[in-house]
Amino acid sequence: MSNKSEVIATENLIKTKKRSQSADVWRRLKKSPTAMIGLAIIVLFLFMALFAPLIADYDDEAIKMNVRERLQPPSTTHIFGTDEFGRDIFARIVWGTRISLFVGLISVSIALSIGGFLGAIAGYYGGRLDNAIMRVLDVLLAIPTILLAITIVAALGASVLNLMIAVGVSNIPGFARVVRAAVLSVKDEEFIEAARAIGANDFIIIVRHVLPNSMAPIIVFATLKVASSIMGISSLSFIGLGVQPPTPEWGSMLAGGRAYIRDYMYIVMFPGLAIVMAVLSLNLIGDGLRDALDPKLK
Amino acid sequence: MSDKLLKIEDLVVQYITDDGIVEAVNGLNITVDRGKTLGLVGETGAGKTTTALSIMRLIPHPPGKIISGGIELDGMDLLALNEQRLEKIRGDVVSMIFQDPMTALNPVITVGDQIAEAIMIHQKVGQAQASQKAREMLEIVGIPGNRSNEYPHQFSGGMKQRVVIAIALSCNPKLLIADEPTTALDVTIQAQVLELMKSLKVKFQMGMVLITHDLGVVAEVCDDVAIMYAGRIVEQGTLEEVFTEVKHPYTEGLFNSIPNIDDRKEKLKPIRGLMSDPYNLPKGCSFCDRCDYAMPVCETEKPPKIYFSDTHFVECHLYRDQQDFKLKGGMK
Amino acid sequence: MTKYILRRILMMIPVMLGVTLLVFFIISLTPGDAASMILGQEATEESIAELREEMGLNDPTIVQYVRYMGDLFQGDMGNSYATGKTVNSEIAQRFPNTFVLTVSAIFLSVLISIPIGVVSATRQYSIFDNVGMIIALVGISMPSFWTGLLLIIAFSLKLGWFPSGGMEGFISLILPAFTLAIASTASITRTTRSSMLEVIRQDYINTAKAKGVTRNVVIRKHALKNALIPAITVIGLEFGILLGGAVLTETVFSWPGIGRLMVESIQRKDTPMVLGSVIVFALAFSVVNLIIDILYAFIDPRIKSNYS
Repeated sequence: MSNKSEVIATENLIKTKKRSQSADVWRRLKKSPTAMIGLAIIVLFLFMALFAPLIADYDDEAIKMNVRERLQPPSTTHIFGTDEFGRDIFARIVWGTRISLFVGLISVSIALSIGGFLGAIAGYYGGRLDNAIMRVLDVLLAIPTILLAITIVAALGASVLNLMIAVGVSNIPGFARVVRAAVLSVKDEEFIEAARAIGANDFIIIVRHVLPNSMAPIIVFATLKVASSIMGISSLSFIGLGVQPPTPEWGSMLAGGRAYIRDYMYIVMFPGLAIVMAVLSLNLIGDGLRDALDPKLK
Repeated sequence: MSDKLLKIEDLVVQYITDDGIVEAVNGLNITVDRGKTLGLVGETGAGKTTTALSIMRLIPHPPGKIISGGIELDGMDLLALNEQRLEKIRGDVVSMIFQDPMTALNPVITVGDQIAEAIMIHQKVGQAQASQKAREMLEIVGIPGNRSNEYPHQFSGGMKQRVVIAIALSCNPKLLIADEPTTALDVTIQAQVLELMKSLKVKFQMGMVLITHDLGVVAEVCDDVAIMYAGRIVEQGTLEEVFTEVKHPYTEGLFNSIPNIDDRKEKLKPIRGLMSDPYNLPKGCSFCDRCDYAMPVCETEKPPKIYFSDTHFVECHLYRDQQDFKLKGGMK
Repeated sequence: MTKYILRRILMMIPVMLGVTLLVFFIISLTPGDAASMILGQEATEESIAELREEMGLNDPTIVQYVRYMGDLFQGDMGNSYATGKTVNSEIAQRFPNTFVLTVSAIFLSVLISIPIGVVSATRQYSIFDNVGMIIALVGISMPSFWTGLLLIIAFSLKLGWFPSGGMEGFISLILPAFTLAIASTASITRTTRSSMLEVIRQDYINTAKAKGVTRNVVIRKHALKNALIPAITVIGLEFGILLGGAVLTETVFSWPGIGRLMVESIQRKDTPMVLGSVIVFALAFSVVNLIIDILYAFIDPRIKSNYS
């Protein structure tokens, strides 16, 4: 009985520590104007993604070709103008937000869960298992991330699902390394010893004690990786290996508008700005978080 | 030339941070005679290192700032000098040994070059001559000169501290500031390094400020002692005066915290409590909330400076009305 | 030193073998039949079957891999399905172009980023630092294919200073090299700044100042060399990102390098060519990392002495 109460007590201790820590982090984060700007922008994008149907009609404005209205400059009816098929660029950017954020988040989740699992067991158990996992990851790391993603999509075929798999898999080694390092840094702390001493098994120790206490660098890394994944997705779409037309996606909008830049530069202006804003906002948040989590590094 | 090598008067140094102002040094006065060694004693956070960095004019700014006061070294007003003049003085007239030898040496430069650098700057000699002198310096601190081409990671902690000492003494400074030079070392190595410093002090005939929290080290090396608490000197005197006629309750507390080898059954009497919050120092005596002799006046008024001899003074209310007041804890 | 370099080269071999294995298996997942592709639509069933047998396409993937590796060790990466030319000749022809592009880009980034990073760190929180760091973050957040398009619009279509694509002399290198350099410049600047900030707080910087070393020499001699150690790591990683970025930049500027070759080959389902391109990219990246590790040993005596 006392065993159990001790477990709960230990856990509560760690939890209260966590809670006060996160309040502290939030307090420091609020002080950073750049992080707050980033947060505001990404909330705006989330809002656009969530309420896309209320902002613009998918079939009518973002997909249907309208030859009579093609290549119109920004105006009150089409605030960002229209593209080479007469589709409203603003509507396509709004709907593109859904794809970018969704694919970005899912692919980072894939990378985080597989890479995180590999990194956690490698770091926690060490020895041969660690060695084996890290050697395999070295192979993946020897291929530049975007090239690995391109290769995977090239083999599997271009689709939204394959795009998520490709970007996700190519980010596995990065996450594995970060999680492994984070686990290594807390593995020998005394509260882990304490948990082991009161009979917690490895799974409980990893999931309830090691991971929550090594979360900080992982959260920062994940935030930055969502940013680079959004960039990766539009890159793949730009070279025709990602989201296929006519589905609105920022990168493929740029690819489509490329031929018209001489006279209609707004075609590539706005989708590009959308990518920059989304990626920049996440980078701002990631930077702010890192400073807030580790004030001495500022 | 005055017989005072270093004279610090009413020095005030603050660190201005987002969370408030840290009053690290508040009206500090010390003097060091030529060729003499002053022990600056106090616990962590008393402002000892800040004092040392002030003499070097190396207080990191921001957040640190020398607010007021004066520092006179060898007749020069250090606070009035520009950066170029200071660069000529640092390493030449005054040198400093830092606390942690593990981090005090540049990991990517050979120890010989690190010693030779100071020589080349101040003695206007060429690379070859400076390297030769660097090897001699290594020999002086007890390291074979042929190791001068090695990098810091190839030396042990005690050896590194010897290298740091060699750097500091390479231009024969008039004043050496040693900031806890033995704290980071193993006990056995501590004694060796201390012995080395003692002999070099004589050999080079330099004045020294030895910063420490260890009264044993003070007894070993120093001529004068200044006890520092919360940014002020609370008691100062010759080694003998301070060790035989303890006046300040804090000094007494420091002595009572040392284990007595002759009487092992005797209980240690550590000073209770912690040093006052440097962001928010008390209005009266900074030590009063930890003091066994505290009186009401201690909380409201800054204690006066009371002299017992030309060299021995204390800052304490206890002696204001009765100079012969005796502290109750017996001396060992 | 030689021992260290040899060791690093030996360590590369299993990784490169792993890379070929991995890439070969990923590519083998590509749907479609190579034989019918090569022979075109008019080919008969029998001739396709015959070619399949001849090419060994009916063998298990692992057997095909071993055969591929056997050829690779003799310096043969097979023939293009689309043109019939050898992959070797195509890559040999294109590789120098990618090499010139990426090396100029990394050279450009290092040249710009290290001084800016150092100045930012020594004047932390100054206007220079704040503005510089915001620009750097924006730089990291800009997709190279978009930056490339903007540069084409401004400097080629509007101002007419540079060609918008192709490869005709030095002048056509400028826009793509800049495009490719932007992101890595930004991130090397950030790393240099933060590692400088870390280094200038170290005790040995105080030791140097206490010796009377002047501010400039402290920065150049004592701080920079230490700060370069992490910066070099990032330069190596950035080179990898740069190689990936070359795929996009070469596409935007019609630069005839391996990146563009790879994209074209993917669109044509020219598997041997895709395979060859990826392997060459990975090899280039590994060689860069090797060079970085050797540079390391030159800068950081702690590494050198471990192997001497």
